[in-house]
Amino acid sequence: MDILIYGTVNSVIFALVAVGFTLVYGVSRLPNFAHGALYVLVGFLTWSLVNDFKVFYPLAILISLGISALLGALIYRLILIRLRGLPTSEIIASFAVGLIILEGLRLQGIGGFKGFIGPFYVLPAFIDSKLRIAGVLIDAQRLILIGGGLCVVAALWLFTHYTKTGLSLRAIAQDEQAAMMLGIDSDRAAVISLSIGSALAGLAAVIILPLGNVTAEAGYRVLINALAVCIIGGLGSWAGAVLASFVLGFAMIISTALFGSVWESVVLVGAIILILIFRPSGLLGKQKELEERV
Amino acid sequence: MLEVKDLMVFYENAIAINNINLTCRQGGVTGIFGANSAGKSTLMYTISGIILDVKKKEEMKGGERITVLGRISFEGVDITHMKPSERAKKGIVLCPERRRIFPESSTLENLKIGGYLATKAQAKETMDYVFTIFPQLKNLKKREGGFLSGGEQQMLAIGRALMAQPKLLLLDEPLLGLSPLMEAMLARAIHEINLQTKITILISEQYARPILPIVHYGYVLENGGAVLEGTSRELMENPDVKSAYFGL
Repeated sequence: MDILIYGTVNSVIFALVAVGFTLVYGVSRLPNFAHGALYVLVGFLTWSLVNDFKVFYPLAILISLGISALLGALIYRLILIRLRGLPTSEIIASFAVGLIILEGLRLQGIGGFKGFIGPFYVLPAFIDSKLRIAGVLIDAQRLILIGGGLCVVAALWLFTHYTKTGLSLRAIAQDEQAAMMLGIDSDRAAVISLSIGSALAGLAAVIILPLGNVTAEAGYRVLINALAVCIIGGLGSWAGAVLASFVLGFAMIISTALFGSVWESVVLVGAIILILIFRPSGLLGKQKELEERV
Repeated sequence: MLEVKDLMVFYENAIAINNINLTCRQGGVTGIFGANSAGKSTLMYTISGIILDVKKKEEMKGGERITVLGRISFEGVDITHMKPSERAKKGIVLCPERRRIFPESSTLENLKIGGYLATKAQAKETMDYVFTIFPQLKNLKKREGGFLSGGEQQMLAIGRALMAQPKLLLLDEPLLGLSPLMEAMLARAIHEINLQTKITILISEQYARPILPIVHYGYVLENGGAVLEGTSRELMENPDVKSAYFGL
């Protein structure tokens, strides 16, 4: 029972972190390596707004998400737009942006800024209480996390199936040129997908971070987790990302329970290697050649 | 309505379009006929602007150098350097060769995506219209685009292009790979669309026979250049056209 509940929590954490990354890649084929940095940035922004500027907590969250979405749009408009079609440069450039954000957060001494270093930065839980489900002690924040994860996935599904903008994003994802012929602008779609993806990174942060403290180093781990989920699920496949989150989430919890927590990262990397050997396109990834069969 | 002047397109040093002059009259059906590699699709991609996107991508990859010379104007406005999505907004909508249906979206979603530029009322009206000219699609609303047959996909592709509220509809080889029965049916549908909606149509085809009767004016392309032009009747009576494109 422990494994079931905490496995689910862990899986939803993976899904929340990966869904933004996979959305951006799926729509625009842009690997946003600044994903982890935006995640951490939103954590610190929210903390700062609440503690330094005394902003009401939910409002602080909304402001930080807005800033994150704006940053995502700027990353595309100012940087990635010049590099489209050069995958390696896209990775290097977006990773550089991530590095600037993460290391900038730790920078000391400019204008009296002390840098976000050390274990002092904790976001408050939404509801601070613990309850018992089927004999397992669990805090309310983890339940909110599961609910939040489900809401995010459901909202995304509705958005991409029933709104004009969402449908246009899926059109660009499937056949960019065919979408252009119908009047859909691919740059606009990329801006939209990057802002939504960045906001989702931030949303993941505010839901997940109250479980621990906010550190800049988490940015790198979050990026690696998102990448692992996307590679295992199949790059750009949304259903695959959700499936892979559950596979990874449970695999990690089970390995921790059986062998101890040192094995967590081994499972993560091992899963990537196994997938790359046996199913290089991922669990639900489609190999492009198949589409050409007609 | 559409005017193409001295258009030349090069892939590296190979010439794909050689000095083409072409006009589409408001409300008419204009035909472009020619064999494989005559330049039909390149011409369609150039008019719809997709070639600019291909060009940009090739430049980024360090691939083929594509050069476009000449002038394309639509309703009096020079659109030679306009983005494809902007051209679609102006009313130039391409229904591409091999249809390029969105394979993971259902028939209904494909049509909805097509209606990206339409208002709600326009989208609803056009969708009803699409189901009247192609009643076969009604039973396939939920089917994924990738699982439709070639003929069904072609109907959907035309329907999808109509949803974008075109003023000038570009049909690139709409009959490619279809059965004679389907060819005749689609040719009739295209004719009806032109008569009922007054949309100007530019249509390219290898095999002229099913299309020539519904065309008002036609051009014959060979190695990227227009070697012949004339009204439907003139083309039909031309001995060269007869032997080359009718198989008589």
